Amino acid sequence: MPEIFGANKVADVHEVVELEKSGKFKSLFGSFVVTPPKTRFESQDNDEKIVILGRKHFVVNLKWMALACFAFFVPMFWGEFPMVKALDTNTSFILSVIWYSALLFYVIQNFVLWFYNVYIVTNERLVDVDFFGLMYKNINVTQIEKLQDVNYSQRGIFSSFFNYGDVVVQTSSEQRSDDRSERSAFTFNAVANPDLVVKIISELMEEVSKQNSR
Amino acid sequence: METILNGQITVSLVVGIMAKIMMVLLFLMSLVMLRQTALMDKVIKIPVGGSIKTLVWSFSALLLLLTVIVVLA
Repeated sequence: MPEIFGANKVADVHEVVELEKSGKFKSLFGSFVVTPPKTRFESQDNDEKIVILGRKHFVVNLKWMALACFAFFVPMFWGEFPMVKALDTNTSFILSVIWYSALLFYVIQNFVLWFYNVYIVTNERLVDVDFFGLMYKNINVTQIEKLQDVNYSQRGIFSSFFNYGDVVVQTSSEQRSDDRSERSAFTFNAVANPDLVVKIISELMEEVSKQNSR
Repeated sequence: METILNGQITVSLVVGIMAKIMMVLLFLMSLVMLRQTALMDKVIKIPVGGSIKTLVWSFSALLLLLTVIVVLA
């Protein structure tokens, strides 16, 4: 491993030190976790430290949560429909059981997908883990030294109000996401505190370029 | 209500059979989710990942129980 990827590089990043001191962003259920403890990923090196573990802002879950809340009350009213009225009590009860089981499945699935769709910034690399549905995963990894540009955008009232946005990281390679819908393979959609993410990645890039120029 | 081969087919009977099939499918989907969660946890090891796996396991176990009850009912 080259010298520039020293394990103490995190300590050099001013912004990370400040955030660590503040004691904020520590919850592992949060959307933006600074130096998460006891967290590892598949291809992590022994001397590699996770600087940020992030995922989509919790607000993006409101859509499916609202739908689930609405669906929760549906069985209470479906007795009014003639088709359901025609069923005997037993079948009607079984239908309710299926409805609530499917609803619970929907809630757990959405939560799990939100929880594990993460991006990781380490002192060496950037890792973007995307799970689409339950059957397909896409993991992109790049070295910090290969990063060229990093920027973010916030669109709409919600994103400004809750402070989330899309962070786009351009690399020297022409990596693109599989479905070509994203501007770069390293597009972190709707992440919390995009300004901090950009700042930390920029500082890491500066550190690496400084080390390289020595 | 229709009578075919001396048997009576009611709306409840048809819906009941469809409901049983749906319950089995839902259980199979929960098994897929269980496997996927285990794989996700392998990709990213987070301390609270164990709780998520327990949640999914519990859901699958509950669904298995419900499926057995619904199918045998």
